[in-house]
Amino acid sequence: MAIKRIHSWKKVIAQLILLVAPTVLFFFYLLWDVNRFYTILENDWIHQGYYFMAGIVITTVFYAWRFRFITTAAVLFWFYYSIYKYVGSISVGEFDAFYLSVQFIVFIFLFSLGWLAGFGFSRTRYFTILWSVLLLVLQIVVVSKTTDVKVNVLISAFAPVLAYSFYIIYTAELIRNMNEEETKFWWFIFKRVSGFLLVLLVMFLVLFNIFKSDFATIEKKWGNAQANYNKGDANSENMNQQDKDGGIGNKDQTKLSGSLSKDKQLIFVAKLDNYFDDGKTPNPLYFTSCYYTKFDTLTQTFERDSLMPYNDLYEPDPSRIPLYFAKWDSTVIKNTFATKNRKVVTADIYKVMLSANRYLAPSTAFFCQPMSVPKEYKEQYKSTYRAKMWVSDLNSAYFIYNPAGNKMLEQFQNVRFTKLREVKKITGPDKKFMDYYTFMPNNADYKKITALAKQVTRNAKTPVDKMIAIRDYFLSKDEFNQPLFKYTDNPGIPGMPSANKLTYFLFENKKGYCAYYAGATLFMLRSLGIPSRVAAGYLTVDRSSKNPGWYWFYANQAHAWTQVYFQGYGWIDFDTTVPDMNTHQATQPDGTPPTNMPQTYLVADGEILALDTAKKQIKMTVEKLLYHDKDYDTKIAKEMTIDVSIATISADTGAVKLSSLKKGVHITAVSFSELLKNILATSKDSLASVLKKLPNPVPIDEIKVMSKEELKKLKKKNKELPGEPIDWIKVGWSILLIITALVILLFISPWLIWQYLNAKAKKMNANKAYNSYRASLYYLNQMGYFRNEKGPQEYAYAMDLKFGSNINAFSNVYQKIKYSSVPLTETEQKMVNEFYKPFIIQVRNKIKLKTRFAKFLNIYNMINYFTQPK
Amino acid sequence: MEEQNVQLEQTLGNIQKLVDNVETVIRGKRMQIQFVLTALLAKGHILMEDNPGTGKTVMAKTLAKSIAGEKGGEASFKRIQFTPDLLPMDLIGSHIFDDVKKEFVFKKGPLFCNLLLADEINRASPKVQSALLECMAEHQITMGETTYPLEKLFFTIATQNPVEMEGTYPLPAAQLDRFFIKIYFGYVDEETELNIYKDYLGIQNNLDNIKQVLSMKEILFLQEQTEKVFIHEEIITGVRNIVRDTRKHADIILGASTRSGITFLKCLKAFALVNGRTFVTEDDLNQLTPAVLDHRLIYRNKEAKQKALAGILAKELDRLSRLKITTNANTYNQSSL
Repeated sequence: MAIKRIHSWKKVIAQLILLVAPTVLFFFYLLWDVNRFYTILENDWIHQGYYFMAGIVITTVFYAWRFRFITTAAVLFWFYYSIYKYVGSISVGEFDAFYLSVQFIVFIFLFSLGWLAGFGFSRTRYFTILWSVLLLVLQIVVVSKTTDVKVNVLISAFAPVLAYSFYIIYTAELIRNMNEEETKFWWFIFKRVSGFLLVLLVMFLVLFNIFKSDFATIEKKWGNAQANYNKGDANSENMNQQDKDGGIGNKDQTKLSGSLSKDKQLIFVAKLDNYFDDGKTPNPLYFTSCYYTKFDTLTQTFERDSLMPYNDLYEPDPSRIPLYFAKWDSTVIKNTFATKNRKVVTADIYKVMLSANRYLAPSTAFFCQPMSVPKEYKEQYKSTYRAKMWVSDLNSAYFIYNPAGNKMLEQFQNVRFTKLREVKKITGPDKKFMDYYTFMPNNADYKKITALAKQVTRNAKTPVDKMIAIRDYFLSKDEFNQPLFKYTDNPGIPGMPSANKLTYFLFENKKGYCAYYAGATLFMLRSLGIPSRVAAGYLTVDRSSKNPGWYWFYANQAHAWTQVYFQGYGWIDFDTTVPDMNTHQATQPDGTPPTNMPQTYLVADGEILALDTAKKQIKMTVEKLLYHDKDYDTKIAKEMTIDVSIATISADTGAVKLSSLKKGVHITAVSFSELLKNILATSKDSLASVLKKLPNPVPIDEIKVMSKEELKKLKKKNKELPGEPIDWIKVGWSILLIITALVILLFISPWLIWQYLNAKAKKMNANKAYNSYRASLYYLNQMGYFRNEKGPQEYAYAMDLKFGSNINAFSNVYQKIKYSSVPLTETEQKMVNEFYKPFIIQVRNKIKLKTRFAKFLNIYNMINYFTQPK
Repeated sequence: MEEQNVQLEQTLGNIQKLVDNVETVIRGKRMQIQFVLTALLAKGHILMEDNPGTGKTVMAKTLAKSIAGEKGGEASFKRIQFTPDLLPMDLIGSHIFDDVKKEFVFKKGPLFCNLLLADEINRASPKVQSALLECMAEHQITMGETTYPLEKLFFTIATQNPVEMEGTYPLPAAQLDRFFIKIYFGYVDEETELNIYKDYLGIQNNLDNIKQVLSMKEILFLQEQTEKVFIHEEIITGVRNIVRDTRKHADIILGASTRSGITFLKCLKAFALVNGRTFVTEDDLNQLTPAVLDHRLIYRNKEAKQKALAGILAKELDRLSRLKITTNANTYNQSSL
């Protein structure tokens, strides 16, 4: 028996190009997105996309023939089953079996999905609508679970799926309705699809225009990152990046590359109040910018992951916090899970090249308070903030290197090792945490690393001993008494471009910069089941004994190292990068630290109401007030006059002239005036009563102008804060509810129309004949008896045969009324008046309730009634 | 006026009788009979196309027998079998030398009759075809200097075999246009066919014993009345739309002419009368459109032939069926009925 084709090849090709190809592309995107969402670290999405593609392409071609779905699906499942059995019989070992079966389930799921989609595209008309709804719901679920919802997240989640949905529904309908005999077939398709895409493009352009400002920032960021790459060698990597305001900060990802470019710019200066037990010897700490918890095996890049479990990275934007107002986040402390040997340490960071919006501090920071730079250092430092950290006693920048005879450091090392040796086996707060931080990519290269790690740590019992063993391995000497591993900024690249750089570093080259050491250590630790991650930030070097606690940070101190988790102690810094033997540490000059910070008595935050440049006075509103280190807040802004004759006025961009201030500008006024020293406020005072006590005008020493953009964002934030955060699940549900309501409305619309027509037909008026006829025809049409191209008489006759009614006679009378000038006879008039109700009852009695109900749900019938025949 | 109405009622009744009468012989072909009468009343001619043996000739014969002639007897019925060697003279007649009068006298050909059956018209040469069609259009014959008018009631039923058959000269579009209506006879349905076989002797008897139900005079009267049938403005608009749509349609190479439109209107009116109505309805439009227009159009291909006109008609019927009832006051009142 020959199986006939349903679709011509032309149609199948059109389906493949216009429906399947975009679907596959979209699915690649979707799978990538979902993989990213579930932080499946490997690049499995490509394979997954292929599975789906195979399913959909095979099916689209396959179902062009007259195959039955159920039977073919049964055959497919039989195949699945046999393959499953086969795989079960050949796989050896539990892990192998597990891995293969997971892979196989993924394959079955995606291939079947492709299969279903292919069948739907090929055969079912309304499949595309269902399909689009499905994808939309999927996207809603993904977005509702995203913690960090931004405009671009929403757009990247919904724009493609919406565009795809519109496209696929439109195109499927187009292909369905196309005339295959059309000589200009492809031109026909091309014209319509391109027209449609144009409409879509216009739509999205409008959308993009609305969100232009957001995109501009993103673009700028990208643009700068690009420029940064191009500065040096195309293959070279820089651990710093230039931010959009011209400042510098750590990058969001670090790529393992052939060479590292370093600059010797001063980035920032910091005062860190961390000392050893004697209270005198400063204990430098690494300054953390962010954590790389993900490694992209394809591009060999360490990346940040917004979805890491128990996020303990505090990232405020100091430029958006009003001067002297503190902002902190205690969940960070909770998320460290550290209770032992922790203390709060303060650091003051003075920014030189560091971007205004960057926040850096030793881990684990939880507090940020922007402060004003003393007048005499204004030229030198752009801005400053105070940070507070929940710091481990066991952390030190001296951790790795030989304390070199320094007794105190040796002792410190011993104490630390002893303490950490108490931890015999590392257990995380939960399984998810452990799985995440001990994740290893699964391929031969990483198995090699595992083997090496096991070999190196074969004598070590506790986790910390294993760590020491790894450190010692990197510091060990070869048979010629030369260091086994060397530090170099230009490790070069392996002969094969796609080769794994980590294994190249560990087994062949044995040269590299910090990211190589950190990466290799990371995977060696993880292979031993020790949860670890890579931290990025700045290396702290104690160069001067002149100013204990003060540290200078240059661009070449940008660094990456490993952090290891010990339960109870939290994350501990662990650096395995070997010292650079070739270039001796340049003795960078230590400047004089900005000391004698004046005591701040008053900080007021508000908008300028009036400006008197002659008297040098400003009238301003006060929304927030900090007085003698006490916070006052009010909902109704109060007024205050300030004397700015000696004040320095500055914005993030630099000094600002008094005359350039305007009404409505948001400022923060700071006073160090001795006048205020003795005017004390009691705990009972409110903001208004404090203001009353102050001299008028209040002498002000410093004014910080908030830029408009920052202000906007600040205001937005303030507005959002009182309200609850947007519950995306709720939003999803309400969207679903609205869609459901619309669908229901759509489905009952034939019935509603019937109700309307029925009500009209029952009325006795001049249009009785017309209304009755129309309602009758609608009813019959809805019952599935289409008039189509039949003439009225022919149709009525057929209906009479079917129902034993008398619509033919009525139809004739109706035609007479409609087209003749002859008046009706009495019997005809009677017919008009009495025809309708009995007729409907007659029809109703002949059709089962169940059938009638189903028919009324059929919108297609209704559409058929209202549309012209083609 | 009253009198005329009564007469009309009566003759309308007679038309139904005529239809019934013919149907006793030609079974299961009511529609075709109605079409033939429509062409008759519209003062036109009809072309029947189908395979041999579907009852075309019997139909013409029965019709002739059913109509009473002027001086008693039946309407004069002539039949010409068209063959490739037929000459125009064989139709028209010729001048023959009269030995007694010593002059040429005109011997009338078979065209001088009431009902002419031109059998297998497409087998004759184009010369003969055009001669016949010329007469049909002009209602007169000119031989040399003299003009001979045809009978007042002159109705041609032409039959032709399907064009694809061998040994035919297909009629050109311009000549097809002369036929108001072209119908396809087709085979009867199985039940009717069984009845025909069971009763073939009865049918033969029926043909012999056919009654004359309508007089020539009545037919002329009805032809006159046809003009007065009321036609609603929307139906006229409908005709206009259909005719214009045939010109615009992508699958139709040659659309209907304005003359076709006029013919169409005439046929609609006649068809209404045949159906016993004095006004035209959507149904008339629905049934007549293919019969009147189909043979005037030239289609791009075979498939288009089936679809194009049906599509145009369906669209127009849809429009008409949605129309609200309009008062007839503002439509021009042509009818005095």
